[in-house]
Amino acid sequence: MARRTMSVLVFMSLVIGPVCASALDDAQLKKLLEEIDDRQQNTGDYKSLAYIETKEKGRDDMVLEAVVYRRDKDDNMMILLLNPKSERGKGYLRVDKNLWMYDPSTGQWDRRTERERIAGTDSRRADFDESRLAEEFSAKYVGREKLGKFDVHRVHLVEKPGADVPFPVVEIWVDTASGNILKRQDFAASGKLMRTIYTPKWKTIYSESKKSDVWYPSEIRVYDEVEKDNSTVILLKSVDLRPLEANIFTKAWLESKSR
Amino acid sequence: MWRLMVIAMRNLLQHKLRSLLLGGAVAGVTLMLVLMGAVGNGIRTTMLDAGLAMTCGHVNVGGFYKITAGSQPAPVLVEANKLIKDVWEAVPDAVDVIDRSIAFAKIVSESDNLLSGVTGIDPAKEGELARHLHLIEGNLADLAKHPHAILLFKRQAERLQVSVGDDVTLNAPIMRGQNNSLDVRVVAIARDMGLMSIMASFVPKQTVIDLYQLDQNTTGVIQVYLDDPNDAARVEGEARSALLAKGYALLDLQDEPFWTKFEPLAGEDWTGNRLDLTTWEGQMGDMKWALRTFDTVTNTLITILLIIIILGVMNTTWITIRERTREIGTLRAIGMTRPRILAMFLLETLVLSVTTAAFGVLVGIGLTHLLNSLQIPISEGFQLFLMSDTLRMVVLPDSLFMALVVVPGLTTLGALAPALRGARMKPVTAMYHVG
Repeated sequence: MARRTMSVLVFMSLVIGPVCASALDDAQLKKLLEEIDDRQQNTGDYKSLAYIETKEKGRDDMVLEAVVYRRDKDDNMMILLLNPKSERGKGYLRVDKNLWMYDPSTGQWDRRTERERIAGTDSRRADFDESRLAEEFSAKYVGREKLGKFDVHRVHLVEKPGADVPFPVVEIWVDTASGNILKRQDFAASGKLMRTIYTPKWKTIYSESKKSDVWYPSEIRVYDEVEKDNSTVILLKSVDLRPLEANIFTKAWLESKSR
Repeated sequence: MWRLMVIAMRNLLQHKLRSLLLGGAVAGVTLMLVLMGAVGNGIRTTMLDAGLAMTCGHVNVGGFYKITAGSQPAPVLVEANKLIKDVWEAVPDAVDVIDRSIAFAKIVSESDNLLSGVTGIDPAKEGELARHLHLIEGNLADLAKHPHAILLFKRQAERLQVSVGDDVTLNAPIMRGQNNSLDVRVVAIARDMGLMSIMASFVPKQTVIDLYQLDQNTTGVIQVYLDDPNDAARVEGEARSALLAKGYALLDLQDEPFWTKFEPLAGEDWTGNRLDLTTWEGQMGDMKWALRTFDTVTNTLITILLIIIILGVMNTTWITIRERTREIGTLRAIGMTRPRILAMFLLETLVLSVTTAAFGVLVGIGLTHLLNSLQIPISEGFQLFLMSDTLRMVVLPDSLFMALVVVPGLTTLGALAPALRGARMKPVTAMYHVG
């Protein structure tokens, strides 16, 4: 009997022990999110080329080429579409927490929200931005899981009051080894799953302003969970952290580039 | 008279089949009258109640704002707090005064989008609206808990494929020639209410203010509710004079829905704010047209039925008089006067029609209650103008009066000509009548 009890205790300690040991408490969870944010945040400017391939049910596949500009210390951002010809000159400008969309065919600026599909794809503006998880969400640790061959922390995030995010509920799967987000799911407040995103490839680039490496996902795969056949792949290339022109984040600058 | 009544009753009982057929016809027409009246009254009551709760007050102080002389007018009232106070003073008869904001936006979900009127409300002040909305999901009061929230109707929610807790984006053209967007959370879904399910949605007033980036002290329309809706025209006139005296600029009276005035006003040469006073009858012009159409059809049908039943009674009385000619001669010979002969036949028709009409009314009332309790769903086309998804029937006293007084009265009148003919017969001719 004593031998059997001992076996159960040994089994329990082997199985449950590591799980309990790896569960993150609130402080560790906060630190995890801050680390994710810090790895991606760049104190200076940012520029990259983005190739956005979108597949939509009943339509031909489309590849958009865009250039993304960011000035992270001011939360300013611009996405200027370069190709195809039909989309050329359209742009998104985020200044003073307002997201504007410019259409050169009408010369009109429209105010959009964070839910705006960038150029009609499954991507959102936030997909091109640096991470602000700790600032925008309250976190709850779900558990340690396996995602394919990776050991991951699964974290449930709910938007903080006043945060301007495209989806109010998010779950992320964070690689325990690298600290990179490998998978993300976006939910409506009702619990309906809206998007699943995979970020399998991460790269680093040295930031002069930060004096350390900045991580960025070089490939983002977005799967529309409402319109199941729709998906978008974003490839970020030619990332450049050198300072941009001072007056770049203005309507006038975007309009001048659209002509 | 009692004797005549006894004779009438005996004759009716003696000719059971004829009495049953004629009585059945009268009861049938009365039943139809009650049912059609109940449907018509139900439509009228539902439309007016729902329309008043959802779209306008008995008297409406709306208005338009123009930035420049040539610009498109916006349905905005500035300095709303002072104006609401002045409206209360201008309408001493007011039972309630509420204000709503007006917007028109594209509602965009992840799957689809649709255009809709968006009405900004203060849920705490919208008792009548709460009474008329039948919520399937969520709660009207939740509109107050979230500055950017929306109540949709079932049809809209189905098209947008959203449920309570989902976010949608409102996209609206604003005065400066650009579009503005705002994310709102679906907090309630209501059962369809005809046209309203397509054309309307409700949000907190703050949502409209933020969507158009308006000043906090603005609104769209001030709705005044009265004890008696028939006073609306008088009260509108008094309010117009009072507001003019307080220095407000008013548009000339044009008692029509506000949305018909955008184009004409765009060409007018004025700027700033002008008030536009209307009554519920003007705002609900389209609904009244639908009601008038239904009333015309109903009245035509009832008139045809009444003519048929009058002809039937007339014909039956002719046959009766022919069959009872010798009886008439005998009665005249033993001293019955002509007026009493006339009264005898008229009384017979009157007793039959009153009894059967009363029966028809009772069956009609019973059927109305039964059909109401069954909550019969109505077709989508009919829902459009009825603002309800189930049939509602209302029996009003004037329908009962029509059924219990007018039907027996007209049928008795139908028996007058044959009865007069019978009463005029000479006793000798009548007694020797063979046939």
